[in-house]
This record gives sequence, structure tokens and C-alpha cells, in this order.
Amino acid sequence: MAISWPKKPNRLIGGKHQRLDGPEKATGRAKYSFDINRPGMLHARILRCPHGHARLKSLDTSAAEKIPGFKALHVLAKPGKEFFYAGDEIAAVACDTEEHAQDAVRALKAEFEVLPHQVDEEDALKNDLKTTSANGAQPNVRPGGEAKVGDPDAAFQNPNAVVHEGIYGAATICHQCLESHGLVAEWDADGGLTVWCSTQAVPGTAGGLAQHFQIPAGKVKCITHYMGGGFGSKFGPDVQGIVAAELARKAKAPVKLMLDRAEELTVAGTRPSAYGKVKIAGTKDGKITAYEVACYGSPGVGNGATVNLNLLPYVYTDTIPNVRRKHQVIRLNTGGARAMRAPGHPQNCLLTDQPLDDLAAKLNLDPMQVRLKNLPANMPEAVKNAPQSFNALRNTIYTDEIKIAAQLSDWEKTWHPPGKGPSKGPNKHGIGMALHTWGGAAGKQNEINVTVSSDGSVLVTCSTQDLGTGERTVLAIIVAEILGLEVKDITVKIGESPYGPSSGSGGSTTCPGTSPPTLQAALAARDALLETLAPRLKAKKEDLTIEPGSVVDKGNTKKYAWKEACAKLGMDAARGTGKWNVQNQNEDELVKGGLSNNGVGGVQIAEVWVDTETGVVRCTRAIAVQDCGLIINKQGCESQVAGGVIMGVNYALFEERVMDRATGRMLNPDMEFYKLGGIADLPRVVVHMHDMPERGVIGIGEPPTISTAAAVGNAVFNAIGVRVPYAPFTPERVLEALAKGGK
Amino acid sequence: MNDPRKNTERPGLSRRAFLKGTGVSAAATALAGAPAAVAVADDKAAEAKAGAPAAFGPAPAAVSLTVNGAKMSYSVEPRVTLLDLLRNHLDVTGCKRVCDRGTCGACTVLLDGKPVYSCTTLALEASGREVKTAEALVADGRLDAVPAAFVQYDAQQCGFCTPGFVVSMRAALDKNPKATPAEIEDALAGNICRCGTYEQMRLAIAALCGQKKGE
Repeated sequence: MAISWPKKPNRLIGGKHQRLDGPEKATGRAKYSFDINRPGMLHARILRCPHGHARLKSLDTSAAEKIPGFKALHVLAKPGKEFFYAGDEIAAVACDTEEHAQDAVRALKAEFEVLPHQVDEEDALKNDLKTTSANGAQPNVRPGGEAKVGDPDAAFQNPNAVVHEGIYGAATICHQCLESHGLVAEWDADGGLTVWCSTQAVPGTAGGLAQHFQIPAGKVKCITHYMGGGFGSKFGPDVQGIVAAELARKAKAPVKLMLDRAEELTVAGTRPSAYGKVKIAGTKDGKITAYEVACYGSPGVGNGATVNLNLLPYVYTDTIPNVRRKHQVIRLNTGGARAMRAPGHPQNCLLTDQPLDDLAAKLNLDPMQVRLKNLPANMPEAVKNAPQSFNALRNTIYTDEIKIAAQLSDWEKTWHPPGKGPSKGPNKHGIGMALHTWGGAAGKQNEINVTVSSDGSVLVTCSTQDLGTGERTVLAIIVAEILGLEVKDITVKIGESPYGPSSGSGGSTTCPGTSPPTLQAALAARDALLETLAPRLKAKKEDLTIEPGSVVDKGNTKKYAWKEACAKLGMDAARGTGKWNVQNQNEDELVKGGLSNNGVGGVQIAEVWVDTETGVVRCTRAIAVQDCGLIINKQGCESQVAGGVIMGVNYALFEERVMDRATGRMLNPDMEFYKLGGIADLPRVVVHMHDMPERGVIGIGEPPTISTAAAVGNAVFNAIGVRVPYAPFTPERVLEALAKGGK
Repeated sequence: MNDPRKNTERPGLSRRAFLKGTGVSAAATALAGAPAAVAVADDKAAEAKAGAPAAFGPAPAAVSLTVNGAKMSYSVEPRVTLLDLLRNHLDVTGCKRVCDRGTCGACTVLLDGKPVYSCTTLALEASGREVKTAEALVADGRLDAVPAAFVQYDAQQCGFCTPGFVVSMRAALDKNPKATPAEIEDALAGNICRCGTYEQMRLAIAALCGQKKGE
């Protein structure tokens, strides 16, 4: 279907709109999964392995089953089972109250054969204890890929090359979703299952449960009306989904199972660590000639790499001619990694943009100029075949964005050579920048339905979920634009699996994947409405159009108020469906059609003050310049970007999962020692949306959190003249770097 | 808010009362496995009458309190927090359970008009008292100025921390209607947002403090 976005100026699309569910959320009336109370509902808790590595010898459940209020038990691990991290699930109980469930879990008696564990990357590199595979069959340190481009050795040895070497990286952090993972599960008399689940994938969660219990997909309903943060960690039913539904079936009563805070930080996902030795070379005029990285990181007991190796050197992959990259994946006896807001990219950015600044310093050049000199070119092939694609525009986008960021930060006046900036007592000023990129293509499969009723009301349904992104409002804006209504006139029902297919909210795919079918559905509903109305208004269908608040008959020069016109629907309703089924994100139709696209670039600048006596870094201002194609809701977009920046500053300055070598347990599974900044700790954020409506809709959730930490790291370097290698840039690490004087 | 340094500076709040407010509840939580040992000193009337703290537990004890204007009562074990009484038994879920140990502020409620962490307040401590949650900040469809500012400036994303922030900010403005933005920010020191809505919150604060749109 050849449809396109309305041409500018749009009445609503691209404007600033308050989120539809704002009043419900701000007054605590929005019901999250955690808030669901069902009649006769039981509470469940899970017994977990307390050791970093152990084998279950025995499990005695008899005492637990005698606890008052005990209703059901579900055993997950049999004797002999090997646990690979402290937090792994053993068994679960359901009781009438949460307190009794806690008592019952305490009364479960598990005995273990405690085995050696390893929770630190450096330890594993020095002496691999092989503690993460059954019977120690595989090493903890595993190859994570390597590649060579050009001739890096020759480039480093070139007498004209200025070479810098350094170490960089960041600790493992946790998603720290404020609504923990979990759900309420309830079976009905017909063997159907309903779950109220905190998930980023509503149909995916229903499907996962149907598969597990071997029941027809249509018999499982997942509801997620409100969702308290996921950041990539909440896909599918998860262990607690299976456990809650099993317990509910056994107890014949609804069961609530939400992780407590310690569980949330221990088992519900991490952004894996990444540490690397980087060697970078450039010519005196700032052209980078070679880049070499040997890095490692840990996904805990999870799988997969901890950086995106093929995208190193980040952003400059195509422009640095000589590259060597190598990655080692270090499996450890810690909670497993899950996708976290732009997986691999923030780590990549730290391993690229920070060495770049150090090289610039060695060359006595402004790092902004070095970046401009090394930006990837617009790809000629793409310019010809897909002029709105990122590859066709990347140089233009970055160049424009750097110019805007330079203006917003007054870079010309504010930047100074490292360590040579203004001081206030022991406090030194610093400013730094970094670049990022992200895909943000449309989710693969989404269906939207729009219904116009005879009372003039408009209902939009989709099973997709609103993680706090403002998705609900996005759908309403598009429908209101097409039907000539206001955003508040549209009723949006999302977050229920029976509303049809939708893709999980991962990879910044939701807005680009739901906006085009919403446009389709709204246009189809409009056409159906006008077709039904034409004979009843004694008009020709082609003479009927919609103007704000009314239906206009050009043939008879008549104008009907929206409700007056809709009343003619009588017993009928006007419906439209939009279906989006994209198998290949890069297929030409998508890009050429201009409905949706992928690929964005962003530029961020951070300003800090570093107290050289205490080592405390205060980030005072952050500037984010970001493109995301066609903007649907500018206010929602700006919020996403500012939030991403704040998350990035937390990553740079505060967040770190701390493991205890002795016990193999996490030492800070809480919110007092796992640090997140409060309002006084975090910078003012200036957001500039680089509007490119001709590109179509592109996702925005992930990109703005990527380059913040590297920008802060560069700002700290700019302040004190020495590199603090590892994020978070804590007082201890800052003081250590100052003491070593960059050696 | 529950910062002990601030509490001790407040006139009329003794060290004993402070311990009652936080220390006892922490002890009760820690001893949950042996509930028989827990005794809680409750309201002033009981203390004055008997001259000694009244003992409760381990069996459930009745709690009667006013929540958002409605009188409610329920029997809970003495170890149950005000937060869990509200959420699990009274279906008042605007106060959220996040850290559950007095750090993040998502559970903030007004207890007799003063902001407290309901996760570190025992349900029994609230007996006979008046509790207000974020749900009270809307009447006849009209939002109180604080949540209205949050909506207007989009100072919320996932929204799970938001009711706590809103209650803290409402309390700060009740205490001092002429509070400056810096004073409001100070009052929010006990609240944490994960989505990073602080910039929008600052715009909301500026508006609430009668300033022009900040920057």
C-alpha cells in the first residue's frame, strides 16, 4: 500500500504533546503489574543458591510445608544440580501472605557441596578456574573474536605516526528497573492463563507461557498496561513467569511473584563489563591511521560478547584504514548479562572516543577538529540507491550535529587543552565530547486497529507496550492527525496480547514499527468512515474530506461537525487495520517509502568540575544533539534523550556492581551502595532534536545513552589532564589517576 | 526526609521518637524469623496510659487508620510495614515498593502531613493516624498543582518513582509554599528516578515555584 506521512506542516505530528497516561501515573492511579491484587491471591518467593558455585546435595521441604498459610511448592532443582552463581533458583513457595512466603522460604532446607567460584575478570585471566561449565569442561576465558584490517603494525611503525597507548573500560552495571521483574498469574476454570506481567514483550510473554504449558496460544493472555522500566532486561516469561504460573496451577489461586530488590540486582540482568588496551596512531594533522584494541569483559553466566567487536573502532570503522581487534569473553559465577539499552555500544564508545581524545592531546589538537577530520564519508552507493539511509547521510548528519553541539556548548570558548582550564580552588573545569550511532529500525511485526464509533469516539488497539517511552501517546497523535481530532480525543488500548501481533520493545524498534501501521489503520478507518457516510450524507465519496473537527462535503459545500457526521454511522462502525510485516530491515521499499527508517547519529558534550582534593566529579551540564528521522512527539523525544543522558552520567560516575571474591555474592544488591544519582547529583541537560522528517520514523530509546559516559570521561581528562581509565569515575579512581600522573 | 540528621534537628521529635520511627522497624524486619521477640511501642495514648510500651505480636493486631480520607482497618502481623499494609491489604498502590529499605523514596506517603518512607514505617505505627498517598492529589478529575506540573513538563517516563516524588514535593510545598527551587530539590534528595526525568522535573519545579520556564 503506497501511503506516506502527511506533508508538513502537520497539525499534530512533530509537536509537543503531554503523555496521555501522565495524570494516572503522577497520581499513583496507574496499575502496574506489581500493583495488581486479585481475589484470593497468594504471594510467592524463590529460594536461591547462596554460593557462587555449588552442587545441590539435598532439599528438605517438609518444614516449609508446615508454615502457616503455605499453599504450594514448586521445585526447580533436583539434588545433583550444579549452580553457577549465587542467585540461581532452587525452589519456590506460595503462601497466603508475603510474610508467610518469606517464612516458608527460610524453612526450606537446602544442603550444598560448595565448589570453587570466580567472580573477577582479572582473576580469571591470571588463573582460569573453569568454574562456569558443567564439571569444569570449558574454560572461563573464551575467545570472543578477532579481526585485522589493513596493516596495523606497519602503520604504528610509520615514522610519521604519533602513537598513544592506554587502558579504558567500565564496570558491570545492573538495569535497576524500579518495578522489579515479575507478574501475577491466574488460571481460569477453562484452563486459560492470564498474567499481569512487567514485560517489554506482551505477545512474546504470552507465547512463551503457552509453549511452556503446552496450551493453545489463544488461551494465554498477557496484560501490561503500565510498566516500571525494563531497559532491555524484560523479555519473555522468565523463570518467575513459569514459577508463578506453576504455583498458581497447583494452589488453584492467583499468585503474585515480584522479585525483591536484592533479587532484581542479582539475577535480572546486567550490562557487561568491558576493559581494553587500546593503541591508536595518527598523523600530525589529526588523521587517524591505525587502531588496535585487545579487550575483555564478562557477561557473568550469560552468553555473548560484551562489546560489539565488528563496530570497533566505534563510528570510525570505515575511516581508520588499519585496525586490529580482539575480544575475550570471560564467563564468571555472577548473574548473567541481558541486553541493556544499546547493548555493546556504550562500551564500544568508551574504547574509541576516549583514546581518540588522548591521541588528540598528544597531537596538541582540539578533539572536535580531530573528529571532524575522521568522520565516515557518505557512502556513494547509498547516496545513489537509498538517499535517506544513514549510510548516505552519516557524514552530513555528524557534521551538522557537531556544529550545533559546538554552538550550544560554546566549544570555541569553553574548550581548553587538558588540565589547562579554569579552576575554582581545587575544582578544575573540563569539557568533553563523544559520538554515537544506532540502528533503531522498525520492529518486524505489528498490527494496529482503529475503530470510529457512531458517538464519534475513536479507539486504537495494539498489543504493544509502553515502557515509559510514551508509545501510547504516539499512537494517539498519529490517529488524531489523520482524523482531524485532538490527541485527548483518542482512546488508546495497548498492552494486552489478544490485540494482535506486536514486536517486543527492544532495539528502539517500537515507535518506528508501530507508527507506519497506525498511519495505515487511521487512513483506512478514515476511508471506511467517508465511504459509509457518503450515501447517508447524500454526498459523493470523493467530495468528502476531513478537516479539524469536521467532515466536509465539497460537492454540496456542507460541513458537518465530527460527532454529527459520526452519528450517521448508526449501528455501524468505521474500522481500519494497519499491518506491518518487515522481514528485512534494510529492504529498499522501507527506506524509499519514507515511512520508517534506521540509523541515527548523535553527538554529546559533557561539562564537569573535578575536585582534585577529594576526587569527586560533578557533571554540571550535558548537551545532546540527536536525530531520529520524523519526530512524532517532540516532548516525548526530548524526554527520552534527556533520560538517556542521565542514565549515561550514572554509568560514568556512580554505577558499579561489586562482587565479593570470598563468597561469590554481590555486595551491593540494593539502592544505597549500588549508586544512582539523585536530582542534585545530575547535570542540567540540553537536548536538541535534529529534525529530519523526510527520513521517516526511527527509534530513539537507545542512542542517547551511548556516548554520554565517554563524553564525561573525556571531560574529566580535559579537567585534570590525566586519564581515569575505568568508569565509574569514582573519587577513588580519580585520586589514583592523579597520584599516578597519567602513568 | 528520613535523614536522621534532619530529624534530630526538628523541634518536638525526640531521639526516642526517632528510634521508634526507624530503628524499631529495622529491628523488627531483621528479627522476622523470630517474631515472638518483637514488641512495638505504639501511639502516645497507650504509652501514657500504661507508662510502658504496649506489646504486640506475633499474632496479627488490628490497625485502624485513615487513608486518603477513608477510615480503614485491618489486622496484620506487627512485622508488616505500612507500605505492605497499604499495597497488599488495602489495595492502595500509589506508594510503590522499590528498594524496600529507606533509600529510593518510591514508597513516600504523608503521615499526619509529614513525608515518611512507608517501607520503613511499621503498619502499627500508623494506627490512629492519617495517611495520604499520591492518589489523594486529584479530586473531581482536577489534578493538584504538583502532579499537574509533572504532567505538563513530562517529568515522568515509566512513572514508577513518580508518586513518591510527587508526594515529597507536595510535602515540601505544604511546609513552605514559598520554597525556592533549590529548597525543593533539597526535599527530593531522598527520591531516585531511574528513567532520568530530572531535567523535566526541574522545569516542573521552576513552574511550581512561580518562576518562568527554567533553563
